[in-house]
Amino acid sequence: MQFEGKQPQGVIYITSMDRPDAVLALALLYGLQAKRDSRMGSVCITGAGLGAAIFCDLVQRFYTPGPLRNGNQQLMPGLPAEGKMPPDSPMLTAAIDRKNDKGEPAYARSIKRVSDTSLPEAVIRNGVIFNADAVMILSAPATYLAKSLDLQGVKELYKERVKRLVIVDSGAAQDVPAIRKVLAEFPSPVFFCPKETGDAILFPGASLDKDFAWAPLHPIVDAVKAYKPGPYDPPTYDMAGALYAVHPDQNFFTLSEPGSIAVGEDGRMRFTPGQGGRIRSAVADPAQREKVVKTYVELASAKPPVPQQRFRPPANAADKKTAPAKADPAKP
Amino acid sequence: MIVTKKALSRRTILRGIGAAISLPFLDAMTPAFAASSLPGGKPVRAAWFYVPNGIDMRHWTPEEEGPLGQLPSILAPLQPVKDDLLVLSNLTANWGRPLLVGAGDHGRALAAYMTGMMVYRTAGADLRLGVSADQVAASAVGHLTKLPSLEIGLEETRQGGNCDNGYSCAYAYNMAWRTESQPLPPISDPRQLFERLFGTDIAEPPAAHARRLAMRESILDQVGGDTQKLESKLGASDRRKLDEYLTSVREIEQQVQRAEKDGMVVDPGMEKPYGVPPEFPDYFRLMTDIMIAAFKTDSTRVATVMIGREGSTRAYPEIGIPDGHHPLTHHMGNMTMLEKVRQINSLHLQLFAEFLVKLRATKEGDSNLLDQSMIVYGSGLSDGNVHTHDQLPTILAGRGGNFISPGRHIIYQRETPVCNLFATMSERMGVTPEHLGDSTGRLQGLSLS
Repeated sequence: MQFEGKQPQGVIYITSMDRPDAVLALALLYGLQAKRDSRMGSVCITGAGLGAAIFCDLVQRFYTPGPLRNGNQQLMPGLPAEGKMPPDSPMLTAAIDRKNDKGEPAYARSIKRVSDTSLPEAVIRNGVIFNADAVMILSAPATYLAKSLDLQGVKELYKERVKRLVIVDSGAAQDVPAIRKVLAEFPSPVFFCPKETGDAILFPGASLDKDFAWAPLHPIVDAVKAYKPGPYDPPTYDMAGALYAVHPDQNFFTLSEPGSIAVGEDGRMRFTPGQGGRIRSAVADPAQREKVVKTYVELASAKPPVPQQRFRPPANAADKKTAPAKADPAKP
Repeated sequence: MIVTKKALSRRTILRGIGAAISLPFLDAMTPAFAASSLPGGKPVRAAWFYVPNGIDMRHWTPEEEGPLGQLPSILAPLQPVKDDLLVLSNLTANWGRPLLVGAGDHGRALAAYMTGMMVYRTAGADLRLGVSADQVAASAVGHLTKLPSLEIGLEETRQGGNCDNGYSCAYAYNMAWRTESQPLPPISDPRQLFERLFGTDIAEPPAAHARRLAMRESILDQVGGDTQKLESKLGASDRRKLDEYLTSVREIEQQVQRAEKDGMVVDPGMEKPYGVPPEFPDYFRLMTDIMIAAFKTDSTRVATVMIGREGSTRAYPEIGIPDGHHPLTHHMGNMTMLEKVRQINSLHLQLFAEFLVKLRATKEGDSNLLDQSMIVYGSGLSDGNVHTHDQLPTILAGRGGNFISPGRHIIYQRETPVCNLFATMSERMGVTPEHLGDSTGRLQGLSLS
């Protein structure tokens, strides 16, 4: 392949966006992007409705202020369009429906209808193509990740560019044939974040009112608070998967011996070390607990970077007539 | 209809010394009492029209999904044929994007659009791309016709050199790729195109060819004997069709001759190749008339028409625009430049609409050529100012032989590969590729049945 320069590794996040840890993981990934440790490659929603895609989009716009990005710079969230969609979670509608002082939507968004979202298997693949190095986090049904493996040249592409796939034990096995296919055929190293890892380290809910207060209106805060009456400390399943995916070498977690994952017909995944397997499990290390919590809070509550000033001469100093900026009716 | 016991072969050709002319579909080519089976048996054609430098999409995309109503200003010339076409929104040519390689969007756009493959950056002979959509279709039906496919260009061609940030001109000047390294250069000379279709399969002696050109003899003179023999076997209806067809061949031939005559007095500074009509609209009409004749005679079922090479700097003085097309598309919001882009986009659509009307007026049995065709009009760029390769401008005209339900605007999900459309068309042509470029499947919703 022909590359120019070194970029942060891209993150492909396949999520149902139906729990607070998923919302916080999204914030954490934008925190990592602000530090240039990684950048969002693409988000693909599986097992949720249009509201999840709208939420991911408005969070993206919240964390990337400045001119609206075009299709060369950013991919819209993927969403399966076939079949009946699940209803939107109240956690997400709290942020989607949030109004500012003028009674307008508090957070700008570009998605209004399903056709504003991306074709799921294409956005997973294209998210990888956009990046020289990528990591994947799978915490939703593996349906479209499995489908993407059958596209022309994709296994070779993933083998070359995807450094690791982290499977979070929180819904990835809902499509049993799909997760079995992924486990059998995914060409890059695979890691597993068992449920225990997310249960062992909780996110401090009190942080929402303190560390996120730099924004008077914050979609992450709105969503986490709307999930259930608080304050409460949610588990960190997807946050653990995201942190390990981007920073596997910083000893946040302990790695198991290589093993394999069995997927039962009931959709439960069971990791067993040994047996000639190739998958390693990322387990919470009590000694690292404080460091991990501190990192979660710092990253999830990070401010977006200030947009860089673009210096470009005017198109035609003599001709002041210019086209209006692209209309964005949803912008408050 | 004349009922005959034995059908005239669909492949019947009028031959003469140095000439061979295919025939249109005649009643006599239908076996007795077989008319009811015609619709399923008639050939389906596929063609791709490529327009360079993107489109001002603000004036292209219909507001609503569903039945087409009043079309936006760029599409307005298509109003008379809106019930014969689909407007398809949100299709993507991912490999045209800068991705990790940066500049060179014009160098990649056409090649990535037609193949769905990564465009290997080289200005040398080591081209690497993929098989283009038209050639996938031609692989299914090319053996059934005189020419497997027809490649038409409305601009001069270049096959080598660096055209855009290290990308070979071959990528920007060729729509059709037979293999990953072998482009099929388009024919931009009307006479060459005409003679490729209607010229001889047997090499005409150079002296005779020169004499015919000098004397402005018609190709019809050379097949006069065969024509008389055939006419004696035809009924009145077919004789009239044959006469109309040969008259149209003669008219095209005369247009070519006139263009060549005009070409002699064209100012060489205008960089007009010999034989090309000086006015772009006339050039478009002439070349597409020849293409219609090719479809009508079943000389080919697959064609590409490059309205301009990607990055084209053609000026349009015919509509009062002396500026180059490509520089205008880098308008940076300048309304004067945007208006000129809109007018150029409209001109192209006006000419395309005329082509569709002619296609629709060309009867074939109880159908017409447009109904038997799938004609794509599109570009590998949407916003030419910032070089975006998603939300592409795409029209699919025709019914593909009762395969498509036109008259609608369909909005697909973002990132849907334009190759999904091409794969669906290929399947209709008779080849079922597991993948076509970066396709993820077939494009749903083209038919309502």
